[in-house]
Amino acid sequence: MKVAYYKGCLASLSAKELDTSTQALAPMLGLELDELESVTCCGAGDIHEAEPDYYLHLNARILAYGAATGAETLMTICNVCTLNLRQANFQLLNDSELRARVNTNLATVGVPPYEDDIEVKHLLWLIVEDDGAERLRQVAHKGLKGLKIAPFYGCQILRPSKLLGFEDPDRPWSLEAIIDACGGEAIDYPAKIKCCGFPIIQAREDVAMGELIQPIEQASEAGADAMVTPCPLCHLSLDAWQSKLKATTGRDFKMPILHLSQLVGVAAGLEESELKFKRHVVPVDPMLEKLEV
Amino acid sequence: MDVALKIWRYDPDSGDRELRDYELEAPEWACLLDVLDLIKDQQDGTLAYRKSCRMMICGSCGMRMDGRAVLACKERMLPIVERGHVPVISAMGNMPIVKDLVVDMDPFWNKIRRMKPWLEPGYDEVLERERIVSQQEMNVIQKEALCIMCGCCVSECNSMESDPEFFGPAALAKGFRFVGDTRDQASVERLEDYNDEHGIWDCTRCYFCNERCPKGVDPRDAIAKLGAESVKEGIDRDMGAKHAKWFVKSAETTGWLRETELVPKTQGIVSAVKQTKFAIGLARRGKVPPPVPPHVAADVGEARALHQLVREQGREGALGIVQGERALARIEHTDAGGARRDAPEVTPREEPPKAEG
Ligand code: SF4
Ligand code: SF4
Ligand code: SF4
Ligand code: SF4
Ligand code: FES
Repeated sequence: MKVAYYKGCLASLSAKELDTSTQALAPMLGLELDELESVTCCGAGDIHEAEPDYYLHLNARILAYGAATGAETLMTICNVCTLNLRQANFQLLNDSELRARVNTNLATVGVPPYEDDIEVKHLLWLIVEDDGAERLRQVAHKGLKGLKIAPFYGCQILRPSKLLGFEDPDRPWSLEAIIDACGGEAIDYPAKIKCCGFPIIQAREDVAMGELIQPIEQASEAGADAMVTPCPLCHLSLDAWQSKLKATTGRDFKMPILHLSQLVGVAAGLEESELKFKRHVVPVDPMLEKLEV
Repeated sequence: MDVALKIWRYDPDSGDRELRDYELEAPEWACLLDVLDLIKDQQDGTLAYRKSCRMMICGSCGMRMDGRAVLACKERMLPIVERGHVPVISAMGNMPIVKDLVVDMDPFWNKIRRMKPWLEPGYDEVLERERIVSQQEMNVIQKEALCIMCGCCVSECNSMESDPEFFGPAALAKGFRFVGDTRDQASVERLEDYNDEHGIWDCTRCYFCNERCPKGVDPRDAIAKLGAESVKEGIDRDMGAKHAKWFVKSAETTGWLRETELVPKTQGIVSAVKQTKFAIGLARRGKVPPPVPPHVAADVGEARALHQLVREQGREGALGIVQGERALARIEHTDAGGARRDAPEVTPREEPPKAEG
């Protein structure tokens, strides 16, 4: 299936490992990626909060370039991108007056208007939908045997469910299905659907830390060898801010954090050059060593 | 139908807490509140919970079912019984428990009061003629005005768990109900006040409030509207506001987030220096791209031109969100996009509510 691929800021910059592993994995999953070049940041909820009309136009521009590829699906690899784009898309598709106004503005600055509809879907959903877990079993030949993996969803792929709506926001199952299909053991813990604190990690570090510690602590206590998340922002806070947790609480969790495409990539036998675990702050080696091949 | 459920009981005198099982016969039309009434009537008169209207308007019966805050009078039991599911009922979170399912709402009311939830019309004398407010003007605060102050949104608020002083979703939604009211003459003072350390920018965007609210108030969206109004009024002293504005700047200059500069732009140079050690650690892993040359998206000139264009059209502030709500209003908020229907059965969580109270 051909999909328009919007990688978002983090995978373009500080989380390049997410992009390389996604690109390497996609053909194995039957996804033909048409990467969007002329696109910007989705605004991460911040532009929505500071200048909502600009947010709408920026996202309409991304949707327009996505639709211009002729694909029916715009694939994201970030929770926050998914919510921002789906929200804007929903508003535009269901309000012809608004869409006409935005399209006129897009045309004024030389952007193709958003004509054909496109649906925004996260890689996570594309992997598991339509019996994807069965497909995945074939791809994940190397497997994750012997590993306990803590799924961490984060917020903006579950809530608000009226805009996301792929699965039950309180009892999600997609990451578990993927871990299972890859041959690993998914562990359960209450904070897997909670917030990692990223949106306020700079403006309110203490409050954010109080949120960040919960999933890491619970996953650690449940014996997880690693955590996996579908969001590069969750990844950044869970991975990079662990050192700050150590400094403020004295607790060193040493919990490896994997992007979704890296976890599936390990199970599918991708190389380090594609997985790029060297770019992580918390070393992933202990988990890889434990993996029984 | 035969209903089975478990209830977390809490006895304030002894401090005992216990998960107790109940089984009973109830009519098929029964909601959770009816079932609790039957238990109290037939099995255990000591069970404590709040109720009044039984029709989703008084906001008394907020409690948790399987860990999520609901109105007991809104939850139909039949589909749950048909699934063979045994739900766990407990008190709402983020508020101290008084007894069983009753929480102390004082902190909640104090925060609502803190918002000055009354109109400041800017005059004392009664006007000669009434002031007519158009439907269009009222539409701006239509959602926020639906709040019945049940506390369901507060129950799972992640920022409030971490910072109990956070004003929280219900209070801030109430705040926007007045900031967005064209009759109110104190909007700017309100925005100044709501930009408190524990105000607007303390929200972590976990969206639990939107998910839980039984009335479709969407408090998180109301908070974003307060943020947009603050930025429009130039009230941007908070790091949260600076952070948000920096994204706008990034998008129109390089197209992508200028991450390296985000910390100094948000926190100022002094705290940024304190972050240096941390930043160097990240830089070693390639987590912070070098500042020069900045990574520029193709055709970013379009994004810049768009910004200028929408600014000229003068739709700054909450209006940008409000206009999008015309479409959002069409989704049934109880349906959750059909998500709950196809969810496989999973074990309900049985951990006790936090030992407050
Ligand atoms: S959400 Fe973040 S990572 Fe995703 S594109 Fe937007 S700003 Fe970038
Ligand atoms: S809004 Fe008016 S009619 Fe409705 S419950 Fe309140 S007082 Fe009664
Ligand atoms: S915003 Fe919704 S959930 Fe919160 S108190 Fe009001 S009605 Fe209840
Ligand atoms: S979105 Fe903000 S206000 Fe709403 S529950 Fe989360 S932290 Fe609280
Ligand atoms: S009893 Fe009034 S809202 Fe439920």
